Amino acid sequence: MIPTTNEKKKRVSKKNKSSWRKHIDTKDVDDFLEEQRLEQRLGEPFEVLKDEQLFTVDTTPKEKQLSTKEKKRLRLLAPPKCFSMLQSHSKVPDPIAKRNRVRTKDERKCPILKRKEIERKFKGILKYREKQRIDDRKKHDDEKLKEVENDKFCKDIWENNSKLDSDEWIDKVTKRHTLRGTGKLNKIIPRMKTSKNEHVSNIETPHPGISYNPSFKDHNDLLIEIAEKEAKIIKEEKHLNRVTKDVFKKVPAGETGASWLEEMSQGLPNDQDPNDEIEEYPGDNPYKSVNPPVENKKKTEKQRRKQKEQILLRESRLLAKQEKKKTVEIHKLKMIKAQIENREKKLQKQKERKEKLKMFKSKETKQLGQLKYEEPDMVFSMREDLTGNLRNLRTKGSLLTDRFRSLQKRNILAVTARHHHKKAKVKKFVKPGFKDDWKKSVANINICPTMK
Amino acid sequence: MVAHRKKKYSTGEGAQFISRKAALKKLQLSLNDFRRLCIIKGIYPREPRNRKRAQKGAPGIKMLYHIKDIQFLLYEPIIWKLREYKIFNRKVGRAKAVKDFKAMRRYLANHPTIKLDHIVKERYPSFIDALRDLDDCLTLCFLFSTFPSLPHIPRTQSDLCRRLSMEFLHAVIEAKAFPIVASYSTYTIGFMPEIEYGIFACCYYYQAEIKGQTITWIVPHHFSFEPQSKAEVDFKIMSTFVEFYTIMLGFVNFRLYHTLNLFYPPKFAIMDNPNEGEKALADENIFVAERVAALNIPLSKSVLGGEEETEIDNFDLQENAEATEEARKEIESIKVLKNLFKGMKFFLNREVPREPLVFIIRCFGGEVSWDKSLFIGATFGETDESITHQIVDRPSMEKKYISRYYIQPQWIFDCVNTRSLLPVSKYFMGEILPPHLSPFVDKDRDENYIPPEERALYDQDAVEQMHKEESADESDKESPNKEEEDEEDLNENFKDVEVSDDKKVKLGVTPGQIEKEAPWKKKREERQEYKLREKMIKKKHRNLYKSMMNAKRERGKQAWLLNKKRKLHDEKEKVKTKSKKKINN
Repeated sequence: MIPTTNEKKKRVSKKNKSSWRKHIDTKDVDDFLEEQRLEQRLGEPFEVLKDEQLFTVDTTPKEKQLSTKEKKRLRLLAPPKCFSMLQSHSKVPDPIAKRNRVRTKDERKCPILKRKEIERKFKGILKYREKQRIDDRKKHDDEKLKEVENDKFCKDIWENNSKLDSDEWIDKVTKRHTLRGTGKLNKIIPRMKTSKNEHVSNIETPHPGISYNPSFKDHNDLLIEIAEKEAKIIKEEKHLNRVTKDVFKKVPAGETGASWLEEMSQGLPNDQDPNDEIEEYPGDNPYKSVNPPVENKKKTEKQRRKQKEQILLRESRLLAKQEKKKTVEIHKLKMIKAQIENREKKLQKQKERKEKLKMFKSKETKQLGQLKYEEPDMVFSMREDLTGNLRNLRTKGSLLTDRFRSLQKRNILAVTARHHHKKAKVKKFVKPGFKDDWKKSVANINICPTMK
Repeated sequence: MVAHRKKKYSTGEGAQFISRKAALKKLQLSLNDFRRLCIIKGIYPREPRNRKRAQKGAPGIKMLYHIKDIQFLLYEPIIWKLREYKIFNRKVGRAKAVKDFKAMRRYLANHPTIKLDHIVKERYPSFIDALRDLDDCLTLCFLFSTFPSLPHIPRTQSDLCRRLSMEFLHAVIEAKAFPIVASYSTYTIGFMPEIEYGIFACCYYYQAEIKGQTITWIVPHHFSFEPQSKAEVDFKIMSTFVEFYTIMLGFVNFRLYHTLNLFYPPKFAIMDNPNEGEKALADENIFVAERVAALNIPLSKSVLGGEEETEIDNFDLQENAEATEEARKEIESIKVLKNLFKGMKFFLNREVPREPLVFIIRCFGGEVSWDKSLFIGATFGETDESITHQIVDRPSMEKKYISRYYIQPQWIFDCVNTRSLLPVSKYFMGEILPPHLSPFVDKDRDENYIPPEERALYDQDAVEQMHKEESADESDKESPNKEEEDEEDLNENFKDVEVSDDKKVKLGVTPGQIEKEAPWKKKREERQEYKLREKMIKKKHRNLYKSMMNAKRERGKQAWLLNKKRKLHDEKEKVKTKSKKKINN
């Protein structure tokens, strides 16, 4: 007979100490002890305590009501919450009654010294470091006071104060040497070639035609100038159109498909023309090789001899021709010389032209960045805008733009296009919870086309 | 050991240039800071000779800087300030974010400031250099002084621009009182405003000569601010330019004021004993600023003394006699210019632009005032009987005084441009004005044909001459002939004397005669010298000179031809009119 394992043993041996410990149930004792310990730590449980011990009847306000600001201040004074874990929460007293505390710096000081310090402070005697601190503070404050604001100009920066500096008899090196001890070293500024375009004046002289009350001739000149420029632009535009847009045939949108089909089916057998097929394959010899077999035809002796003779003759003729050319070239020497001279002259001219072009280019505005400088449109007013007096003056153009362009023209600023930040494309969708139509669900409107 | 292979672009143009991105990395600055630093230090990008090599083979077009420029920037002390500023911004931002306003206030009180004095000195080693480059500075300052506070343009900046530009105008006004130092050979004019004005569609152009440097600047018309589209102009960059230019103009003003014996910051005589009511009203700074902007109140001088008259030392130096004479003439003409409007009293009507007119009138020694309610600093009212000119820009007025001319503002501008007092008749109130001609056209370009009608526009003397000629033609034709005859007689007498001398050849002492140099001899000598000088022209400029002279000759020919044609035509016309007259009679 095999006993069933699932069944609990009714009786267990508690013979040995170990088996006794194994099978005895101590839960009730443990629970009790745990409860006792908790009681020790946190105090008596609320069930046992009386109401008077738990609650107090608040008859008079002990403290005045604090404002949120004051509460905040108080909270700032309290130790931070992050340190609360370090504090002990237990009510169990410290088992070591006489634990040594770490004394503060002030407590550790010798009482005699401490007394002396107080006496020193009372007398107003300062230590070196304290004195220095006060001095430093004062110096800093003075400097701050002295540091004049940027918009107060109270010195001549071009004035040459030092006698040494202005003395023309003293050598440059000596000056540097003697100035070294004074704390104001002569700064040597590198003489750099400025990259700004000096061929363009800072303020270009205005055309007399843009005067507020111009003479007829001046104004006309200006208008003609502008019209010429405009005509040039129009011409250029026309040319570009002719060369690009007008070159291509314009086809209506619907026809493109048909024409494509026609082009693509070029050369393919067409069902509509049965005649073509018949012509391509004439009846008798339907097969024709792409590479018919080669016959090996031999030359006769005579033919070979003639061929050799011809070669020799050709060679001798060439030789004679070269000899003749040599003699002719000796007589041609003058002409060759002239040819060389001509060529040299031509090269010289080319070189000069290149240099000239280079010179002109050096006066032009250079390209500093990705964009090229383009001359802005001229400012002008039409005849009907000219009023002839200051009171009714109508301004044209903007001075700021003009200055900005001028800086660009003089290569002080690089021409840049305004950078446009691309906004990220965000796909919008309605969350499923918000999907229902508010008109139907909230407003309860029944939109019915037939009602209208 | 094998020698190291030379790496590509480690020498030559490839090593000379640095891209902007690399420069930013090297200087450890942000792009904005770098831009600012470059503008302040006057360093601009460059175009290399061979872009491919300069970009180390990289495709496209990059913004390149010279490596030496960047190294130059590397040693600039204000780079540290820029970095400090970065940290400052970070601190303030943090304090603001955690709402630690006490700390924030402390930081803001101790904000770092960038000083640009040394950079002004560095970029313009001498005062003259600074003056030479003042055009842009003045134009931008005048322009920015009209701006309200905009993004990137703080209110303080436009205020400072306004203050400095007005102070500069004062310096130009006062400059005429400066003594002119003149020696016998060269006349170095210490300080002289030679101002030309042009009013154009968008602004006034001014040109003044200070210490021998011609300075041109543009002032916008006084209209309300018109917002500008951001696409055209980068305000941040322009504001940085102005930041530097204000500092520069400040120091230029300081120096100018001190050379003129004026106080800087400007002081007024009234400030010493102001009316108590006025002082109680205004803060002292505002009080001064308003009076500076009025342009009408003379500044008080640091050294008191009457106006020194300039005189040329009369050294008897024969070599430079002509030069001295020329200098004297020049100085006299300047003296006349200074007092162009002297003794005149102008009153500006309220529709007239006040600032430019006051500036010009004061420059040329006139007295000016305006309506009390228009602006501070009016010295006399409209009812003052001693006013000689009232400047008006309206078609008619109800109440007029007989004692004064009512003229349009253009009269002032035209007078100054022609450097003489023009007749008032063309500029009366309601009159259609003659054209306002640009003073910047090259009038001096010689050998150009100008028809007499056009010349009359520029030159008033020419008109008179034309009239005189016409009248002379009719009345007295005989008188010039008479003079000629007299001269001939004189010559004959001389000949007689010479002949008689030849006859008496005897011993004895005769009074010595002054040897008269034949004028043609002198001319020939001069001509020879001129030719020699022409030969000394460098090869570099010879072709240019030649082409210039050729063009001049060509123009001369054309002008001569046209003049001749005109003369023939005029004569024909005259004959016609005469014959008509005769027929009529």
